[in-house]
Amino acid sequence: MVNLTIDGRAIQAPKGKTVLEVADANGIFIPRLCYHPALKPIGACRICVVEVKPGPPRPLPACATVVNEGMEVTTNSPRVQAIRDELMKLVLINHALECPICDKGGECELQDLTHALAVDKVDLEAVKLAPNHDYESLFVERHPDRCVTCGRCIHVCRDHVGAMAINFMQRGYFTELGSGVLPLDCEFCGSCIDICPVGALINKLWKYRARAWEVVKIESVCPFCGGGCVYELHTKDDRILRVRNEKSILLCSKGRFGFPVVEAPDRLKTPLIKDNGNFREASWDEALDLVAAKFQEIAASDAGAKAIYGIGSARATNEANYLFQKFFRQGLGTNQLDNPGRYTYVRALKGLAAVFGSPDVSGVEASTALPQPYQSPLTPGAEAKGSGFPFVLGKFNDLPKADLALVLGADVTPEMPPLGWKLLRALDNENFRLVLANPRHTKFDRYASLSLRYKPGTERILLSGIFKAFFTANADYIPSISAKGLEEFKESFKKVTLKDVASKTGVDEALIKETAALLAQAQAPAIICGTELLAQDKGEQNALALADLFLLIGKPGTPGSAVYPVAEKNNSRGVCEVGVLPDRLPGFVAVPEDAAGLTIADVLDKLEAGDPAAPQAVYMLGGDLLRGLPHRSLTEKLLKKVPFLVVQDAFLTDTAKLAQVVLPVAVHAEQEGSFISSDGTLGVLPAVLPANGVRPDWQIIGQLGEKMGYKLGASHPKQVFRELAQNMPLWAGLGPKASGPLMAGEVSGTFVPFEADLSLPGRRPHTLIIGKVLNHNGSYTTHAPDGTLKLVPRAELSLNPEDAKSLGLAAGDTAKVVSSQGEISVPVVLSPEMPPGVVFLPEHFAEPPVHLLTLNSNLVRVTIQKG
Amino acid sequence: MIIPFIKGLATTLRHVFTKPITLQYPEEKRQVAPRWRGHPELTVNEDGRRRCVACTLCMVVCPSNAIKGIVAAEGAEHEKYPVAFQIDLTRCIFCGLCQEACPKAAIKLNNLYELAQYDKNLLYLDIDRATQKKSELRMADWL
Ligand code: SF4
Ligand code: SF4
Ligand code: SF4
Ligand code: SF4
Ligand code: FES
Repeated sequence: MVNLTIDGRAIQAPKGKTVLEVADANGIFIPRLCYHPALKPIGACRICVVEVKPGPPRPLPACATVVNEGMEVTTNSPRVQAIRDELMKLVLINHALECPICDKGGECELQDLTHALAVDKVDLEAVKLAPNHDYESLFVERHPDRCVTCGRCIHVCRDHVGAMAINFMQRGYFTELGSGVLPLDCEFCGSCIDICPVGALINKLWKYRARAWEVVKIESVCPFCGGGCVYELHTKDDRILRVRNEKSILLCSKGRFGFPVVEAPDRLKTPLIKDNGNFREASWDEALDLVAAKFQEIAASDAGAKAIYGIGSARATNEANYLFQKFFRQGLGTNQLDNPGRYTYVRALKGLAAVFGSPDVSGVEASTALPQPYQSPLTPGAEAKGSGFPFVLGKFNDLPKADLALVLGADVTPEMPPLGWKLLRALDNENFRLVLANPRHTKFDRYASLSLRYKPGTERILLSGIFKAFFTANADYIPSISAKGLEEFKESFKKVTLKDVASKTGVDEALIKETAALLAQAQAPAIICGTELLAQDKGEQNALALADLFLLIGKPGTPGSAVYPVAEKNNSRGVCEVGVLPDRLPGFVAVPEDAAGLTIADVLDKLEAGDPAAPQAVYMLGGDLLRGLPHRSLTEKLLKKVPFLVVQDAFLTDTAKLAQVVLPVAVHAEQEGSFISSDGTLGVLPAVLPANGVRPDWQIIGQLGEKMGYKLGASHPKQVFRELAQNMPLWAGLGPKASGPLMAGEVSGTFVPFEADLSLPGRRPHTLIIGKVLNHNGSYTTHAPDGTLKLVPRAELSLNPEDAKSLGLAAGDTAKVVSSQGEISVPVVLSPEMPPGVVFLPEHFAEPPVHLLTLNSNLVRVTIQKG
Repeated sequence: MIIPFIKGLATTLRHVFTKPITLQYPEEKRQVAPRWRGHPELTVNEDGRRRCVACTLCMVVCPSNAIKGIVAAEGAEHEKYPVAFQIDLTRCIFCGLCQEACPKAAIKLNNLYELAQYDKNLLYLDIDRATQKKSELRMADWL
């Protein structure tokens, strides 16, 4: 604490704070223009000048001056007031002053400041500058004649987003925000728009649609990736007009510009029933009656209730998924359900569970506090503790405290932007080391201490090399987590030679050794892995290998040292936690082995084999399985074999087209509920818009249950949440925006050897990686023509320019991609980020169906021809 | 006795020949003062286009909520203009605050005072009925 006076008032303030922060905290107003709490001080505008004694004879910027013991600050001497007046005149000298049509009008910091400083006229003159408007760029419109050259946009783009897409051109009075290229070519996250104090950067989706004061702002949570960004929906007349994150400003392009999906023209509005191969519109009662009757018929038949299979959804709320599993477990009395995360996120959890064990929580008590909505009725007592894999899962806010991050098989920003933002914060620490392992050149290579460019599919071989190098250099290393089986585990690398690893993976021996050395030194290492690695056929083995690595080097007690597997969708983690798994009840409580149900993969196998135990009916809570699962042609054939398929979805997806009954659901802004983000944070979703004929998932499940005579107790999501949280000690203390688990973790584990083989058979010359692009998430965002579909409208094959040349392909040409499973035609884009021999296709689009090419993995060997 | 009678008649006669102070309303209409506050309407440019830029300030300032439903659109030159605009004359209190708030001199109180209607709906002006006709520019000094 330091003691100082501001305008004669004695104030105590924490060390290291700036004068502006201290003044704000004490209710003393210092005018400012370039300062923004989410950024480091910029010090560009000098409006915040104050006089400081003892100090230099000239005034100092309050936003960039740190408080000192005995400081005397004067914020409003005639001298600083005169300076501010003069500065304001300079700012306003050529300002467009078109507040009536400026979208910023009403929330403009320059308007506020002009009022606060009572600037009534500008008696200066200067040459008029050309306005140089940029109306061409997507989503962002630039009005340089309104810019106050504060530099906020540049700082947020460079330091927080990491895109470095904009900067000032010229100097002095002629300074202008430029981007080098026109139209703008960047990540289109729109963070610059929302951090701009004036109307120089405008959100095109919002432009002219309302005035700032007309909107109703409601806090909600993003429904796209697993990042769980909390933001405000700005609505007027039951329409969403924009989305903002007032606090940190940061959102990605999906979050900020993806909301038009709610108004997508292809949304389903009424239930559909298939008659003679064609869908007809039906009433809710008719559709639900049909489903209930059919389910009851199957349950009463010889096949029994076991023949009805459920597939939950990583898009649906916790409440809907909880009711869904209750429908199966309590209603039908089976464990025949799973969720599509089986092919990605569930593998990470299984790998971690194999090493760190299942969660076990003790010392949880009933909360004595008044029940709040979406607040767990349980609370961790003073003695509460837990063990098992949830306690090695990391929280985003802790990541900047890590001193090393190993990123394996994840293009961080497209997979999960918040992880990227946090990595940038971690990089503020000069001792932080980033080790990036990816077959492709990704955005974070720029920041990496080590970049390991391995051949696709060789992750486990690379890891075995790292382990080998680690054990060779640190023979007596003792893991800080209490671990069993280290000796046997060490043994399993006896035959591994670094030379062999280097030749198989294509990564230099020296780099592997260096990586091992960095890992051995790290005091708070974090491990990040993405779906690129989890979606492989041996994704679970990959996760296992990483879990072993964390058991070896992890320091779970240290903030930041954790495993960060990417949960690809908004509720990928939640759907697992609430028990939409064949072998786990809510809270990951294990089902006795003989009672466990089938996984999706088992079901598909049974369907393929024509097994009598294959389901007679499948009830899907949404999600386009055909688009997401490998080997599309087989999946399609097998799903067609299901006699009665019920799909609950907002769109008539390819999977829904195979269904006998399609039930249209409300999407995020139309329903209430909660999500669990990738880092375990509870995001609460309010119902903001009327549902116009469609119904929320939880309601449909409840009504179906009612028709079948089950008492699911589905009267309101709040009440469902209470019931569900009541049964989940793991969620004790959890509430809106809190990140679970909230009790102390006691992590221990057992080393489990993994198979260090190559999971990419075949002989074709190119390796295709199917993965994610930044502007889409799953297939959800591809339904909104006004949203991010504008940015990335179609799938394009990324190809190394050299490869393209040898194939005789140029950018924009159509290439035929052939694998053993099938072939597709797709336009080509040249990208130097791709290593020779490796090509990339995004997974999101309906056309072309990329999974026609794959067999059991997101990797496949292909031949590329001129199309 | 006759004198008061003649005096009275003279007064009467004098009034018979002086200009009357009443008007033969409705055949005759009173000319109102230039600053008369009739009902608000949207003014137009010389070329007949509305001047309004849909800033909604008049809507904000209107104390009786007589202005509503302003919907903006973007023109070919990126200009902002209203495609919908409602003036509810049943609520208007003729205060003229909209006229004062408007940064574009796009809304003005005109000089009409005959507002009574048999059908209330006629008092809800949509954007077209709220716009003054160029041929009917009532006050040249507005432009
Ligand atoms: S940036 Fe602010 S001051 Fe400038 S025209 Fe827009 S609203 Fe007015
Ligand atoms: S565009 Fe906005 S944020 Fe960027 S420098 Fe100009 S005023 Fe500041
Ligand atoms: S898509 Fe993910 S990163 Fe983007 S705003 Fe939504 S939650 Fe945040
Ligand atoms: S104040 Fe003037 S410019 Fe603004 S909406 Fe009203 S009439 Fe139009
Ligand atoms: S706010 Fe301090 S210099 Fe701009």
